[in-house]
Amino acid sequence: MKDIRGTLVSEGAGGVYGERMLEGCRVWDPYRSKLSALWYLDKTTDLKKDEVVLYLGAANGTTVSHVADYTECVYAVEFAPRPMQDLLAVSARRKNIIPIYGDATRPREYAALLEPADMVYMDVAQPNQAGIAVRHIPFLKKGGRLILMLKTRSVDIRKTPEEVFAESCAELEAAGLTIEKSLWLNPYHIDHAAIVCRK
Amino acid sequence: MNWYGESGSYSIDTSEAAERVRKNTDNAPKKLCDWTELKDAGLVSSRAEYIASVRAVASSMAEEGIAASLSEKDTDLLQMVRMLDELDEVINLLTERLTEWHQSTTPDSSRKYNKAASKKFIQTIAKSKNPSMKHVAREILSLTNLRTQLMKDVSRKADEVIPNMSALVGGLVAARLMSRAGGLSIISRMAASSIQVLGAESALFSHIRAGTPSPKHGLIFQHRRVHNAPRDVRGKLARILASKLAIAARLDAFRGELDEAFLADANEKIDKLMEVSK
Repeated sequence: MKDIRGTLVSEGAGGVYGERMLEGCRVWDPYRSKLSALWYLDKTTDLKKDEVVLYLGAANGTTVSHVADYTECVYAVEFAPRPMQDLLAVSARRKNIIPIYGDATRPREYAALLEPADMVYMDVAQPNQAGIAVRHIPFLKKGGRLILMLKTRSVDIRKTPEEVFAESCAELEAAGLTIEKSLWLNPYHIDHAAIVCRK
Repeated sequence: MNWYGESGSYSIDTSEAAERVRKNTDNAPKKLCDWTELKDAGLVSSRAEYIASVRAVASSMAEEGIAASLSEKDTDLLQMVRMLDELDEVINLLTERLTEWHQSTTPDSSRKYNKAASKKFIQTIAKSKNPSMKHVAREILSLTNLRTQLMKDVSRKADEVIPNMSALVGGLVAARLMSRAGGLSIISRMAASSIQVLGAESALFSHIRAGTPSPKHGLIFQHRRVHNAPRDVRGKLARILASKLAIAARLDAFRGELDEAFLADANEKIDKLMEVSK
């Protein structure tokens, strides 16, 4: 991914959500976006021009807009109506975002729209996050990446983040994914972990 | 089946495609979309055109979905309750600040010890000589009137949208419960025990985590039958009321009209408990 003197940026039409601009590029803030935080912690994180991305938990489309700057197209899934309105507005200005109003716990709602993805990116505030990830393995190309941004606090408030993390990793591995790396997103996001797997 | 249909009869018409997407029941279809199929069929000429077509289908489905969720009958009521609670907060905040201001300019004023009701107090300030303080006080009073008006509107709307719940605990409390749950369809799927502690989440989680005593009631404490009840039956009453509310929520969500028989039965049960406790 592109950086200007250490600041992660993406190239595209600016002014999506009031992001700062740097030399004509859109600054991608690690405190707002987990994917950006992952890049700051692990510089090998990359997005490629020809990649098809399935993005679960698109919310208002801030991170989505940056991902769309880097990749060929983004299938962005969101299930809450209010953020979805914002996502539609974002996609109106970016022709490679395909906004999908559906529930990631029920892929059948939008399965017929999808094509094999090079990357599945997940950032959903649900209790069974690893389970949702596993359910989307069929949409991933062989050798494709799955990045799970694990919100440990949404899984089970009674367990420690470490326990949740270990359990989620085990569930992903049991489903046949190989975990390439996993790290905590401190200090950018508290109690959030990034798990990068490969099919 | 993919959004563009079966081999031999491909089409990229938006409404036909939406129909196909909705019909899909398979969580993991064997064959995903392949844009080259459409290209070979001559329906799209390039990758960009394929993306534009699938995007058109998805966008129009999303727009329809959002429109449907906004037109649900509880949307308006939810916003009204939230506005009411926000107004409360604003009025309290302004009142507090104005009281502080008044005290610091008037040596003989002490709200703490003269025990004036805050509304009365604001009314006195509204007649004071300090012009800027007077303006603020008047604004607060007009906000208070607005709040009263909105509260009436909420009750009226709640009677209409959630008649059974409103009949049990009054429109305002019923609407607040629904708003805390997140909507009528959500509260109608909630267990009675969850409804009982709606609004007491922090107490509930500290109970689960640290083993502090469990909360007996959350928002439903605001209902007079709960907070006027003697201490020792309050928990029991909250439990019964919550279980009746759960039924009422389901009636409201799926039938939408007042069920007299259910209400008579529920009230009788609650009154009986009140009798026993006396």
